[in-house]
Amino acid sequence: MKGYWKYFLNKLLWFLVTLVCAFILNFILPRLMPGDPVAAIVARLAQGMSNATGVQAIYQQYADLFGTNRPIYEQFFLYMSNVVRGNFGYSFSQYPRPVSEVLGASIWWTIALQFPAIIVGWLIGNTLGALAAYVKGGFDKVLLPVSIFVSSLPPFGMAVILMAVFAVNLRWFPTSGGYGFDLLPSATWSFVWSVIVHYQLPFWSIVLIAIGGQAIGMRSMSIYELNADYVKYSRFLGIKDRKIVGYVFRNAMLPQITGLALSIGTMVGGALVAEIIFSYPGLGYTLLNGVMGQDYPLISASTLIVTIMVLIANFVIEILYGFIDPRIKAAQAD
Amino acid sequence: MSKVVMLEVKGLTTKYITRFQEDVYAVDHVSLTVEEGRSLGIAGESGCGKSTLALSLMGYYFPPLHYMSGEIIIDGRTITEMEPDDIRREILGTEIAYIPQAAMNALNPTQKVIDFIEDVIQAHDPYKTKKEIYDLARKSFEVLGLPADVLQKYPVELSGGMKQRTVIATSVILSPKVLIADEPSSALDVTSQKMVIKMLKNLMEYGFIKSMIFITHELPLLYNVTDDIMVMYAGQIVEKGTAQEVVFDPLHPYAKGLMGSIIVPEKGLREVELAAIPGVPPNLKNPPAACRFAERCKYVRAECEANPVPLHYVGGGRAYRCILPEKELRDIYAKEARTREVHEHAR
Amino acid sequence: MKHTIRQIFRSGKFVVGFSIFVTILLIVIVYPLIITGEPLGIIGQGTFFPPGIYVSVYDSIGSPSYTLFLDDAAAKRIASKLSNDDRLAMKDWLIADGVPENQIDITDTEKLLDLWEKEYDPDKGLPGMTFAKQRYYQRLNDSLEGLLSTEAAIIAAKNAETGVLEETGVVKQSDYVNVGEVASVRVLPFGTDNFGRDVLTELVAATGVSLQIGLVAGLIATLIGLTLGLLAGYVGGLMDDVIVFITNLFLVIPTFVLLILISFSIGQEQRGPFVIAVVIGFTAWPWTARAVRAQVISLRNRDHVNLSKLSGHSIAHIILTDILPYIASYVIMALILQISLGILQEAALSILGLGPKTTEDPTLGLMMQWAMIYQAHILGKWWAYFPPLLTIALITFSMNLMNTGLDQVFNPALRD
Ligand SMILES: Nc1ncnc2c1ncn2[C@@H]1O[C@H](COP(=O)(O)OP(=O)(O)OP(=O)(O)O)[C@@H](O)[C@H]1O
Ligand SMILES: [Mg+2]
Repeated sequence: MKGYWKYFLNKLLWFLVTLVCAFILNFILPRLMPGDPVAAIVARLAQGMSNATGVQAIYQQYADLFGTNRPIYEQFFLYMSNVVRGNFGYSFSQYPRPVSEVLGASIWWTIALQFPAIIVGWLIGNTLGALAAYVKGGFDKVLLPVSIFVSSLPPFGMAVILMAVFAVNLRWFPTSGGYGFDLLPSATWSFVWSVIVHYQLPFWSIVLIAIGGQAIGMRSMSIYELNADYVKYSRFLGIKDRKIVGYVFRNAMLPQITGLALSIGTMVGGALVAEIIFSYPGLGYTLLNGVMGQDYPLISASTLIVTIMVLIANFVIEILYGFIDPRIKAAQAD
Repeated sequence: MSKVVMLEVKGLTTKYITRFQEDVYAVDHVSLTVEEGRSLGIAGESGCGKSTLALSLMGYYFPPLHYMSGEIIIDGRTITEMEPDDIRREILGTEIAYIPQAAMNALNPTQKVIDFIEDVIQAHDPYKTKKEIYDLARKSFEVLGLPADVLQKYPVELSGGMKQRTVIATSVILSPKVLIADEPSSALDVTSQKMVIKMLKNLMEYGFIKSMIFITHELPLLYNVTDDIMVMYAGQIVEKGTAQEVVFDPLHPYAKGLMGSIIVPEKGLREVELAAIPGVPPNLKNPPAACRFAERCKYVRAECEANPVPLHYVGGGRAYRCILPEKELRDIYAKEARTREVHEHAR
Repeated sequence: MKHTIRQIFRSGKFVVGFSIFVTILLIVIVYPLIITGEPLGIIGQGTFFPPGIYVSVYDSIGSPSYTLFLDDAAAKRIASKLSNDDRLAMKDWLIADGVPENQIDITDTEKLLDLWEKEYDPDKGLPGMTFAKQRYYQRLNDSLEGLLSTEAAIIAAKNAETGVLEETGVVKQSDYVNVGEVASVRVLPFGTDNFGRDVLTELVAATGVSLQIGLVAGLIATLIGLTLGLLAGYVGGLMDDVIVFITNLFLVIPTFVLLILISFSIGQEQRGPFVIAVVIGFTAWPWTARAVRAQVISLRNRDHVNLSKLSGHSIAHIILTDILPYIASYVIMALILQISLGILQEAALSILGLGPKTTEDPTLGLMMQWAMIYQAHILGKWWAYFPPLLTIALITFSMNLMNTGLDQVFNPALRD
């Protein structure tokens, strides 16, 4: 167990370091670009918001929030302390709603959509990949090109295709939204049903994309493991093939878990765009609204939240991996 | 007194079928016998089919390797006539065992040594309890000089030499009659190599195995470890005999050339030059029908490339594959040695 | 070298991928030579004209007319105006209006129209009917006007002096023109987009630009990744630690987030296709750096490298002659992957509204964005979004196939 703790602390430290770096990047990148955000804000204010008191309020709010006239490191600490308290300022495009309120609604939609979808896609993809490597023949000959094609589709492409087929042509599912536009969030059966129905297409579009990529990875890992020396050795000691296949798939699976930790950022990025296609009320759609409304505070906060979500997911996977792969504990012990 | 024959192989031929559906004949009509208490060394340059022969001797074939013809008899049982699953259960590990060339990677990285041993033993005897298996494993490991706590470790926690010795101990855990070791020491440092060799030598003494086939590039090692030596070239046996005979009195020009490349600080071997044999072995996809070594042979004649050359037995298990008579070959080598001496004096 | 290339071209996957890619490339190069004209020129007034052959109505009138007696002409004319859905809708209206259901036979066109003419009142709203539905019936009614007439249509022109309409010609129902003789005909295989632009022409131009974006992004990412990977792997020490730290950092921080932040901060005006490509390139290198480093480390202690070190060659010399050639195949695969990733990233950014802001150069991503904003996917205007989507998929598919093929040639363990 000592070995595991060492591993855990190591990962925790790395998680904190990446978190801080992500913070810094989120703060500094916009400020490195020509035209700092507050200047841009002021300029945009001048371009005209219809609500005059709103303009004044926002201006005041941002002067305080960013501490424009103070040195950059002070600005950074100000930003830090604001963020830690969940204060991201007011949204430009949805004034007078604070950014935290806008995001608070959408985060849960995204989490509930993406993480189950990615996990389901990962499971199905790995099963198919392992089967392709083991069964070979026709199944493999069909599965590999299909997987390559599916994983070549951009995630929003899969979303558009599913929508065209199942929502527009067959009308089995609604085209957009997270629930019927005529309903209000409530604990009624009709609302829950509506959410379930609206969930299907975005969910499967993310699942299908994930399946493609994972199946390819698992297939090559399994082929590699099937050719490993221990397979031959175990066979020549009379161990049954079924048992050996068990070794192989367990070993091929492990790198797929670390692979998932590394690719989860890319997957989430793609899935955000898929959300947009379905006007799903998650972070992707919020980001789009932010971009359309030139809403800097909203964008900055969304990107920060997405990053934090990805870092946490990454951390959790690494921690679980430490439990699953016996070598981690062993290697850290000495 | 006639010894019990542990392993007898008659005319064994196997081939690889590559994914382009080409045939590679890597073991071609190989016959050999190993008696109880004796060890046989197999030498030959890279790609001549040593490892393939080792695999073929197990009698358990899976693609791309395929059995063509010949017989393998282990302690009186003709295993080439048995069903694959019976071979797996009754022969592999218990009658004949194998140490792979890349023993460094031969253990499943995510399994403790003891768990693997458990799988091995239960594959043959499903009713053995964990406790019995553990006791057995601990006893053999201790006899072989391996600390018992190795059993509770994962392969990554073991050093290269320790991994190698663990593989050896695991291979012989069911006391097989024949052990085939394919270059068990090639990837190790000198100290570990010595330990591994010592361990292999002990195996027979301690009764873990009854006979052994040892494959290596390193001829001096063979001379020290094994009783008999067989030289392979391009899938065929070109020379066999006792270690003494093959090292000090090789007959086949290829064996002669190979022995020329030994440096052993022993009488009569010291002055022999380190001679790599120029040229490359023939492609095993379509090897020449006649003498396969002809292309690289210093003493080649027109007849060499006319007909297949059979293996000539010259008595006492000694054999070589060359059209020239024994005496003529010895004369040629003697003359060569004289001219070389003259040259060296002149310098 | 020659041998390797021959082996590569023996891989079925590579050949298929290569063929698709070359075909796309050829189309991008050849098409503009044949169909000249502004790719973003607005040729249609209105949105989303469906794919088809557009024949000038005015020129048709002036073209020589031929008389053909075709049996099914009348039936086709009615069918094109009065679909089965329309008939059902008419039946609904009539029933709601109080006509008994058994008197309505929607298969008998003549009777149905008679009944309709007698009963229909455009001003009459039925209970529960939405306004849109009411408008639909009015439009349907207008289009049915004279549907069964066998009269010829009269063409009239205003007299320039008196302003009175004068008959200048008659178009009989059996009059035909030969499309080949009509002065102005335009084929729009993919119709027009939301701005009334020819989708195919736009698509070809967009493919070209997207490929360039992918190439620039891929080259930048590969160059950075290669340099960092070589330095980290070969030089080692502190250099390695620093580079590994930065690489791992950028591997876990989602690239897409960085892209959004940077693209947004750059501002609309500065965001040309080239700038976007550079930004993508500068965020995409970590994968390559990591992979190259691993390869270099496995090479670092090979005999030929040690020999080169002993002979006192400089680091640059060793890297160029003893390391690069051995990882070349690997770097090429990484480059191909980066190019296709670049194209995908551009598209994703564009959909988010952060793609290149341009009035001259379309990209595949921008075409998708326009289609999405104008709801082409919900309205079922497939020709506006499907061609760019398919093109993106084909480009990345062909590149992934080539990579899989290369992988199987260079990593024999992956062969089946
Ligand atoms: N899986 C395979 N498929 C096809 N041909 C093979 C395969 N494995 C080995 N061969 C070929 O069979 C021949 C004999 O190979 P083998 O591995 O038995 O040689 P070896 O004597 O053990 O060499 P080394 O000393 O390098 O281990 C070689 O020509 C090799 O190319
Ligand atoms: Mg070998």
